[in-house]
Amino acid sequence: MAASVLMDPPLNDAKPVVLVHPNQQAERTTSFVGMVIFLGSWAVMFAALFFSFGLHRSAAAEWPPPGVQPLPLLLPGINTVFILLSSVFLHCAVRASRRANTTRFCQWMAGTLVLGIGFLASQIHVWTGLWESGLTLRSAGFGSYFYLLTVFHAVHVVVGLALLLWVTLHQIRQTKTVKQPSRIRLASMFWHFVGVVWVLTFVIVYAL
Amino acid sequence: MDLQPIHPEPTSFIKKYLFTTDHKVIAKQFLWTGFIFLFIGGVLAMWIRWQWGFPNEPVPAILGGGLLHESDGIIGPSTYASVFTQHGLIMIFFAITPALIGAFGNFCIPLMIGARDMAFPKLNMFSYWTFVISCLLVLASFFPDMGGAAAGWTTYPPLSTNVGTPGWGQTLMVLAIFVTGTATIMGSVNYVTTVIRLRAPGMTYMRMPGTVWGLWLTAILNVLFVPVLAAGALLLVFDRVFGTEFYIAGANGNGDPILFQHLFWIFGHPEVYILILPAWGIMTDLMSFFSRKPAFWFKGSVYAMIAVTIVSAVVYGHHMFLTGMNPLLGHTFMLLTLIISVPAEMLFLNWLHTMWHGSIRLTVPMLFALGAVFVFGLGGLTGIYLGTISTDIYLHDTMFVVGHFHFTMAAATFLGTFAAVYLWYPKMFGRKMNVRLGKTHFWGSVVFITLLFGGQMLVGYAGQQRRLWDPFQYTFLEHLRDLNLWTTYAAFLLGIFQIPFVINFIGSMWKGPKAEANPWELGTLEWTLPSPPPNYNFKEIPTVYRGPHEYNNPEVKAVLGRDWVGQSEVLPDAKIESDENRPSAPGSDQAAE
Repeated sequence: MAASVLMDPPLNDAKPVVLVHPNQQAERTTSFVGMVIFLGSWAVMFAALFFSFGLHRSAAAEWPPPGVQPLPLLLPGINTVFILLSSVFLHCAVRASRRANTTRFCQWMAGTLVLGIGFLASQIHVWTGLWESGLTLRSAGFGSYFYLLTVFHAVHVVVGLALLLWVTLHQIRQTKTVKQPSRIRLASMFWHFVGVVWVLTFVIVYAL
Repeated sequence: MDLQPIHPEPTSFIKKYLFTTDHKVIAKQFLWTGFIFLFIGGVLAMWIRWQWGFPNEPVPAILGGGLLHESDGIIGPSTYASVFTQHGLIMIFFAITPALIGAFGNFCIPLMIGARDMAFPKLNMFSYWTFVISCLLVLASFFPDMGGAAAGWTTYPPLSTNVGTPGWGQTLMVLAIFVTGTATIMGSVNYVTTVIRLRAPGMTYMRMPGTVWGLWLTAILNVLFVPVLAAGALLLVFDRVFGTEFYIAGANGNGDPILFQHLFWIFGHPEVYILILPAWGIMTDLMSFFSRKPAFWFKGSVYAMIAVTIVSAVVYGHHMFLTGMNPLLGHTFMLLTLIISVPAEMLFLNWLHTMWHGSIRLTVPMLFALGAVFVFGLGGLTGIYLGTISTDIYLHDTMFVVGHFHFTMAAATFLGTFAAVYLWYPKMFGRKMNVRLGKTHFWGSVVFITLLFGGQMLVGYAGQQRRLWDPFQYTFLEHLRDLNLWTTYAAFLLGIFQIPFVINFIGSMWKGPKAEANPWELGTLEWTLPSPPPNYNFKEIPTVYRGPHEYNNPEVKAVLGRDWVGQSEVLPDAKIESDENRPSAPGSDQAAE
């Protein structure tokens, strides 16, 4: 794990790349391990929510429950594409940052942020549409779960966007602290996590 | 190896004692908070016992009867429901968890693995202050108009929904559980990472003391299962505040109250082991420390703890035998539950074997560890009756269950916590505790804790249901009046015997004799440091050469002339030929005592 980061090669860029001191390397690995454990823990929280939803659904006689419209698929489907694309963009941004290419980093990151905000906007559109069509918190139990899972996820999207914005601002200000590379990595891990959760939400809540 | 800079010691009061990142100070913060809530929970326990010993009589002033002035000191049914609910939740989440896991996890893990601090010191600080927020929520939940939380510590819906317990008391309490859950997750992420990343060179996993193993496995369980509780609590808060229908069934909604039981026990059963594993680890170490012998099959104890950790995740259904569970599932859970007693038994036998033929020193921490072994044995054995479906059908929801989980979760963990307090007090505060007061505290505690929870089991076996406000309204329980009364006396005496501890704990901070670096003659890393250790712990990160339990090693005795050797100690002449220096006859060495 440690070795793979050490071997990030100074590619064909104009800016010289300072090799990381082994101590900094160790701290980066520590923060990485911590983040993996944290995300594992948080994944269990989402798993518990999905489990609850699964239990509710398996107990239902028919699905969707009587009186509830089937959920729209088009907009959430586009959202899924947004999220997946934003993860790809973020991956490119992280690669650019490893090559110390701040301009490229900011470009990719801007793309990621725009996609994330777009995701939120269309989520809000979906929610308002469904709410007006009569899917409230008390629609045969389904409404409760639908809003819980999607809103709880959206809260994580907001946190993820804030983290990404924060590391981007640090990168722009050129605060070359020791911690910047691991900040970028941790924020991107969180964002990928949020993306994976959305794909699961889409499959479990909307598609199935 | 790792980046662990030495930070200058903070000088301002706020940075040094309040918003500190020093794991040793955070440990003390957790310890104090835990003791405050232990006191609150203890007073509530006395009220419950008062009600069973002297039903419908006013609580005397010495037990805080003045707090019930609106009802002239009498504990009415609704007050009673809130008292036992708050007692349970406070003891588990706000007394044991901070005192055992928060305090000793923070204190022991970095010191015992040879680190300068936790992996994420700031996260550690946030964890404590998040915990403080949850404590404030608990305190706030006492006072709303419609009474405090009153749905039992298990907080089952529909009792815990707005239908069963209207008002803000229950909501605030559930919210407090959620917030303390996030604090626990923060702390546990820290513990797990610290153990993985910051072990000193040479500190292999099997050279870690049992204490660290116990705390580490606890942290792993916390990381995995507290989120489930958090999710369950969150849904309950939503039901109560936003009117969702996750748990509300019947005419009021389309939810499922059993869902909460699933979420609660998926967390709740590992929680039992979350609380006991650190105590097991401490007991494993203490058996060896004070028997002056290597721990018997230490690896086996570690494997046993790992096995318990894993199996604990798949036994939760035994709490739900009577919820209309599929019989096949019920039998599966029963089998798994009984299987978990095998590693527990392994651990138990290892403790006994460690003591066998040891030169046992009955120090105060050792006494408490022995007491913990005893009460845990009682609690563990009676668990088998509850894990077996046929007997559980009868014993379910009786005081027998209450006695059982108090033996394991209350008696064993608190005696374990006290063992830890007595053992590490010199390292924490730089002074030694009084032995006579300590032994008084021990004998009073272990005798009356056994009588108290034993009495609960007896009345439960005789059919007394748990949570009854006045059990003697039922004629078939009328004959249990005396037994309940005697159990109540045992409870009061248990409370009284905590006074020597309070005097000892607080008094020794000023009056106790100064502690040397290694008052117990132990080999683990924290005892190489001065008492109390400097804020950076280790000036140089130590290199570890051996396991934590090297006692009465003949080679060490020959070379050093004592029966213990530090984990990071270099023997003066490491190339020594063991044959020449072996003591000629068993009686000829005087190093042992």
